[in-house]
Amino acid sequence: MATFNFKKREIECKIVYYGPGRCGKTTNLEYIFKTYKKQIAGEMVSIDTEGDRTLFFDFLPMGLGKIKGCDVKVQLYTVPGQVQYSSTRKLVLKEVDGLIFVADSLEVRREKNMLSLKDLHENLKSYGTSIFKVPLVMQYNKRDLEEEGIPLMSIERMDRDLNRQLKAPYFSASAIKGQGVPQTIMECLKRTLLNLQKQLKWAK
Amino acid sequence: MDPKDQIVSLLKEADLYQNQGLLNEAKERYKKATDIIKNSPNIKNGQELIANIVKKVVDLNQKIIKINQAATKPTVSDSKQTLIKKLFAGDGENDNHTSALEGAIALAKFGQFDRALEEFERLLDVEAVRVAAAKNIVRCHLEIEALEDAALCYERWVGDDRFAYAQLDKIRFFLEGRFSKLGFERELYQREETISDEDMESLEMEAATPEESSSSVNGQHSECSSAVMEDMELPEEEEFLDINSVGIQLPSGAQKGRMVEFDVSFQTGNSINLIISSKESALLDQLVKGTKLNDMQFFSPIAILNGSGVVTAKTQIKSGPKEGDYSLDITILTT
Repeated sequence: MATFNFKKREIECKIVYYGPGRCGKTTNLEYIFKTYKKQIAGEMVSIDTEGDRTLFFDFLPMGLGKIKGCDVKVQLYTVPGQVQYSSTRKLVLKEVDGLIFVADSLEVRREKNMLSLKDLHENLKSYGTSIFKVPLVMQYNKRDLEEEGIPLMSIERMDRDLNRQLKAPYFSASAIKGQGVPQTIMECLKRTLLNLQKQLKWAK
Repeated sequence: MDPKDQIVSLLKEADLYQNQGLLNEAKERYKKATDIIKNSPNIKNGQELIANIVKKVVDLNQKIIKINQAATKPTVSDSKQTLIKKLFAGDGENDNHTSALEGAIALAKFGQFDRALEEFERLLDVEAVRVAAAKNIVRCHLEIEALEDAALCYERWVGDDRFAYAQLDKIRFFLEGRFSKLGFERELYQREETISDEDMESLEMEAATPEESSSSVNGQHSECSSAVMEDMELPEEEEFLDINSVGIQLPSGAQKGRMVEFDVSFQTGNSINLIISSKESALLDQLVKGTKLNDMQFFSPIAILNGSGVVTAKTQIKSGPKEGDYSLDITILTT
């Protein structure tokens, strides 16, 4: 849950990038860190392990400036995607305000996408919330690999697999090239702040 | 598809998957390519190709082993530990000692046991969080399979004047419960003093609270926070429901006894914040810091409760859309 300091008129919220291992969550954050220097409020911290795999989380603090008289700060996190880091994912997910689910477009990762989404659903449930309640944006990543002639799933198929019930907004992306990264985070921020506005009434 | 094209395509895919870090998928593609080569005697240099693939698969296997064998909870740098503490130690609304305890718990949950133990040890000096810190020390030892160390810690505390009898009993009951679940037989030295039947009953109930057993005992460490760490605890405190709105019965003035209702704009524990329009001047005059509100109603999504509270702060909002209105903090005393 976001913290709202009424006296300072300051709101701080948490957005988490979720998805299977090697789907490009950290790459999203790296692109944001590289591109939005003005909004970045500190260093990007990565706690990773062998083979550049996220071990605990990546963390990137951002400041969005004043929105409706309120200083808005955002903490971006990624979770470790590897299956064995289940409880770390749960820990990072705690009190999340907005979610970006990064799905891997490679056909060979179809099942991993679905399992990761299921894992997200279960972890949110264990915190007494629902995947339908937290602002969520889907990102179908690695679209650039189509040029390499590697079998990718179509956007329609991915949306059918992952988003049929959720009906979350979705973006195709190539995080390595930055394509779709700004659109995804902007949409998530918009939805998260609107949701917090409803809950906390901070911008009234 | 022509076997030659098939092999080229599979090898290309395998290389790409390897670059993506998808090592098992890469291995699978190499294996398929090898099978096709083996079944296609017309392919030139087939044996040479297979030898190259085998070399790649050996490299892949080594990488996979390295990844699988990497420590799942390595000790990270001091600065990263400090960041973990800062990011995962609650919302900063608690007092210093509780926040310090939350920080130490966060460290333990991320497997940073040495630093967590140091911090828990320091917190044993603080009466308000002593038992929670002690139980968490025990949990850390259980997590790293140092069961005897957990017992020795408790026995050290038995001779430590900082611990009251009741506190020691709580820790002992807790520890005995854990040992029994883990099948570890160890008699614990006790300070000689009996406790009342009533206290004994409450301790037994506490110890009997269902908890998952530790996964570490059978030699299989889970990654960051196992079941042992899942239930790391803060000092015992009353839990408060989320309160959406409150009704306040005016304590004095011309409208004495009238119930007015306000939305709660923010809540932390037993402290709620309301915004009152500057137009409500008569009401605002009555609600000054220290005003005791004996008749309050608290509306939560699951219940309506009657209780009392006290106004702890009243501040006029200086800027923004609510400029001129008042922010009122009320601490809930009873429900």
